[in-house]
Amino acid sequence: MAHIRLENINLTFFVKQDAGFTLKDFLVGGFFRKHYKPPMQVQALDNLNLEVHDGQKLGVIGHNGAGKSTLLKMMAGIYKPTSGIRDVNGRISSLFDIALGFEQEATGWENIRFRCYLQGETPASVRSKQNEIAEFSELGEFLEMPVRFYSAGMRVRLAFSIATAINPEILLIDEVLSAGDLAFQAKAHERMRDMIARARLMVMVSHDLDSTARLCDRIAWLEHGKIRQVGPAAEMVKAYREWSHNPGGKGKNKTGGTVTTAA
Amino acid sequence: MKNYIQEIWRTRYFWLALVHMDIRARYRGSALGLGWSLLNPIAMTGIFCVVFATLFQQNIATFAPYALTGLTLWNFVSQTMAMGCNTFHQAEAYIRQHPVPMAIYPLRLVLANAFHLVIALVLAIILSTWGTGFAGVLPLLSLIPSLCLIVVMGWSIACLLGLMNVYFRDIKHLTDVGLQVLMYLTPIWYPEKLLREKGLAWLVNGNPLVPFLHLVRAPLLDHQMPSLETYGAALLVASAFFLLAAWSLKAREPKLIYFL
Repeated sequence: MAHIRLENINLTFFVKQDAGFTLKDFLVGGFFRKHYKPPMQVQALDNLNLEVHDGQKLGVIGHNGAGKSTLLKMMAGIYKPTSGIRDVNGRISSLFDIALGFEQEATGWENIRFRCYLQGETPASVRSKQNEIAEFSELGEFLEMPVRFYSAGMRVRLAFSIATAINPEILLIDEVLSAGDLAFQAKAHERMRDMIARARLMVMVSHDLDSTARLCDRIAWLEHGKIRQVGPAAEMVKAYREWSHNPGGKGKNKTGGTVTTAA
Repeated sequence: MKNYIQEIWRTRYFWLALVHMDIRARYRGSALGLGWSLLNPIAMTGIFCVVFATLFQQNIATFAPYALTGLTLWNFVSQTMAMGCNTFHQAEAYIRQHPVPMAIYPLRLVLANAFHLVIALVLAIILSTWGTGFAGVLPLLSLIPSLCLIVVMGWSIACLLGLMNVYFRDIKHLTDVGLQVLMYLTPIWYPEKLLREKGLAWLVNGNPLVPFLHLVRAPLLDHQMPSLETYGAALLVASAFFLLAAWSLKAREPKLIYFL
């Protein structure tokens, strides 16, 4: 049974204040105690508690900077929590920044293979999948070319075709609902729905409230790194919409606490 | 620790595919193909033979394999150090997408470089057989464990420099300068004897690269197994660097992503 359980999770980020410092700055600054700016700390997740069980599809909404993507990356194990318990049972497949991470000098075919390996495939399973991926991407002979020569749209097509050719147990998705031109988008939406249907458990972050409501059964509303409210998808979307149009208005913030206007 | 190694093993198809691509990408679209790996050491050896064999009054038959083995190993070290600085930056997109052990990124680099090292070593074996005769089976077989030690050393250096470069962005430039200095201090193409005779033995004994040079040169030039001292020194240096690198990676890996 797949599940994700988060208990009192805190996550503090380090953000470099300038382009990064040099060993020279460090030595000089260390000796003379100046010019040395320590990295800024940002509390991205604040004592967060959340449970997602087998069979659930959870959407995460909230304004920019609320900690949605951080939450997802922490679930995936990319960010380690500063404190708290992260208990994940099941194999994780994640779709983050999928358009990045191509080997520029390698051909489309080679990129298909090694990205499949990164997603946990073996040579045998890749052999059975790569033709289907190639076909779905509709890139045809371009796959023989190094990815360096691809247009942005071709890259997204390839990335999407590879990333969605999985049999996920736990699926984590961060804003990958739009891919390619209109014809491709229709295909892509169908493929996404199929993949999501195969997953035992899904957590999805999106700004597109309608598709979130369609694809998820529950929604968590995140604010300042805390869960403000969790509930059935339709209700939460309604509450979030009302709040967005009228922040801080008549008794909408049932959880209390301070609410700052979304910028 | 055990889990970490299991994870590295589990992701083997991924990093092996990257190594494969690195090797192929280097030769893509070049008529010479593998020859490029060899061209640099061959050309340099040729020049050194012409100049230094006369200057130091060396016998070409022994000097050519001496210079070639030195240059071969030096190319490996300098490439590993220069590229090692960027090893984690280069992998940023993967690090942000999937939580795979970061030790695989320096591993990717060192294995691709080791491939070129092996090719050049084969050439050195041929050249030394021509120059000084067949070295014997056992001495040649000793090159295999020696290569493993060299790979461990290379991984450790790439990992350390990569980590340092994430925190201090001038490490890359310092490494370039350091490589220049190291090249002149290491008996790569000038005879080691010269330093010893001039009372600079400490320069040879204190250089951590020298035991690895001996590991390669003993079988090819002297037709002997490397001495116990050489093994001891190489093992000591490699394990010291390895422990430092592994410890640093363990301490830094969880937070490295915030600094990329």
